Amino acid sequence: MDLVLLLQRICDALFNSAIYSSLALALVIIFRSTGLLNFAQGEMATFTAYIAFVLLSGPQPRLTGGGLAGLVPGVPLPIPLAITGAVICGMAGGAVTERALIRPLGRAPDLALVNITIGLLLATNSLMAQWWGTGPRMFPAIFPSGAGQHFNILGARLRYSTVGVWAILLTVLVLLIVLLRHTRTGLAFRAVSISPSNAELVGVRVGPTLMYGWALASGFGALAACLSANSVLLEPNMMLRVLVYAFAAATLGGLDSPKGALVGGVIIGLSQTLIPAYVPFIGFELSVLPALLAMTAILLVRPAGLYGTKRIERV
Amino acid sequence: MRVDFGKLSRKGLLGAALIAAGLAVIPFTATTTGLRQSSQIVISVLAVLGVNVATGYGGMISLGHGVFVGVGAFATGYYVDGLSLPWLVAIALGALTAALSGALIGLPALRIKGIHLALVTLGLAIVFQPLSKRFPKITGGVSGTGIDAKFVSPSWWPSDTRMATAVYRYLFCILVVGIALWATWNLVNSRFGRGMRALRDNDTAAAIYGVDLVAARVQTFAISAGLAGLCGALQVVLVPFVSQEKYGPQESLVIYATAVIGGLGTIWGSVLGVIARTVVGAVGRAAAEVDGFGLIGEFLDLLDEAPFVFGVGLILLTFLFPRGLAGIGRRKQAAD
Repeated sequence: MDLVLLLQRICDALFNSAIYSSLALALVIIFRSTGLLNFAQGEMATFTAYIAFVLLSGPQPRLTGGGLAGLVPGVPLPIPLAITGAVICGMAGGAVTERALIRPLGRAPDLALVNITIGLLLATNSLMAQWWGTGPRMFPAIFPSGAGQHFNILGARLRYSTVGVWAILLTVLVLLIVLLRHTRTGLAFRAVSISPSNAELVGVRVGPTLMYGWALASGFGALAACLSANSVLLEPNMMLRVLVYAFAAATLGGLDSPKGALVGGVIIGLSQTLIPAYVPFIGFELSVLPALLAMTAILLVRPAGLYGTKRIERV
Repeated sequence: MRVDFGKLSRKGLLGAALIAAGLAVIPFTATTTGLRQSSQIVISVLAVLGVNVATGYGGMISLGHGVFVGVGAFATGYYVDGLSLPWLVAIALGALTAALSGALIGLPALRIKGIHLALVTLGLAIVFQPLSKRFPKITGGVSGTGIDAKFVSPSWWPSDTRMATAVYRYLFCILVVGIALWATWNLVNSRFGRGMRALRDNDTAAAIYGVDLVAARVQTFAISAGLAGLCGALQVVLVPFVSQEKYGPQESLVIYATAVIGGLGTIWGSVLGVIARTVVGAVGRAAAEVDGFGLIGEFLDLLDEAPFVFGVGLILLTFLFPRGLAGIGRRKQAAD
């Protein structure tokens, strides 16, 4: 086996790992607090990537979709600002979704929650296709990603963009930890995640706290979409496959464990690059299959994943 | 669950009579294309019914029934072309193949439940397209493949013009769908069906009363996949061309949405869902014709997109009528 090639593939895989970790974190934050798998997380994230795209391209009706042209600021924004704008819009969108669609349901059966998120997925997806077309769009790179722009590690190339994406992800993670450990809102969120009814009894306002959770999660989703839009090309179905990887990552790590999401994202990212490389039948396109099989196997054998809480049911 | 047979049958009879009248008029007014499209609408009831059996009666959320439609279509195409089997045998085997794949995929459903099963089946819906491209001999790879054998009317049929063939196919589809609806109705009201529903409501209690959980879950999933596969087989009857393009994840989700919007847990709901989809489609097309009006015009264009309308419909109905269109007139039951 060519070791340099293997190292190279690992370096390449780390980029995807960061994206999957980020989206998996979004899924875990929501699952932990509401016990709901947000199937629309990917589409909501893609939508924010389109918002970043609109902010980047300035007032060009052809690009922005006719109805939105009036809302765009007069000048194209620089990339960091555009992405920040998109993340803020994403957080607002997440908060609104929780307030308008999830909270009114109360303690609904699984089926109702699946219906809401699937409805959101379908509606958002075709809304994007209608406004921006189904064709892929070029999204500018955030970090220099030209031919020579990489670190050399034992003969393998570690691209600046990979390092940059991880730097952003880790920074945001530190912020998240500070938020959860050292603020009252974070404390409230942790209380609600453990037990909504007990949190309510000690005076935590459960509804608004969950809204913060949704905003946080959608922020992570938006970040994942904006950071990956350059490499996978921006199109309405962009995050559909990524969502499977992220779900696989979240399941592997344990659906209620943020640490698990991070570790799971890294493992799934590595396997998504390495398995197709060494198993010819599974080409690039079919690399969703191992992720799906892994996810199914984990749910069958060890539903709690690596770090998740084991659920004990009384009959 | 209390079922009021007298009231149900009167309402049901009226609805059935209206649908029958509508179906009877179509061959006299439509072109061959219109007839084919009507047939396609009729057979789509089967896929929706499949979701209904798994989710509505079996309590297993399936977001991936488009996969079984695809398996049924690919298999039927292969049997009739590759193996040169007669059409009726190929259709039956196609549905059976889908049922077997359903039983296989239903196996994880023995342990994976609720929202997690929804997740696995959604993954399945996403993986099906790239997977089917890997078997180009059967599926025609990326671009699909034509089926050489054509489903034509037998010799006793009065005429063999294009129109007569289209009418024959149309009536054949109605017959098959009618039989499937009748068989499913009997099934869900049989001992097996009662076990299935008991399983959905409380599996521990069902097991205590002697329902074999493993067998019931696998059989339910197989039957539901078989119904979807039958839909795929009839698609090949109507259009002798199979391609992975028709079986993307959105397709699966729209089938699911149709089943939920129509109403889960009633046979009638699946028919209602498809009728709603057809009506919404027609209204949407008409609305999309209206141009101009800036934002309003763009919104009207959106109504032509079935996924958009069904996505929004799914959300609205979950709030307004959690039991779907079929449940609108009915009193809320304590079990919910």
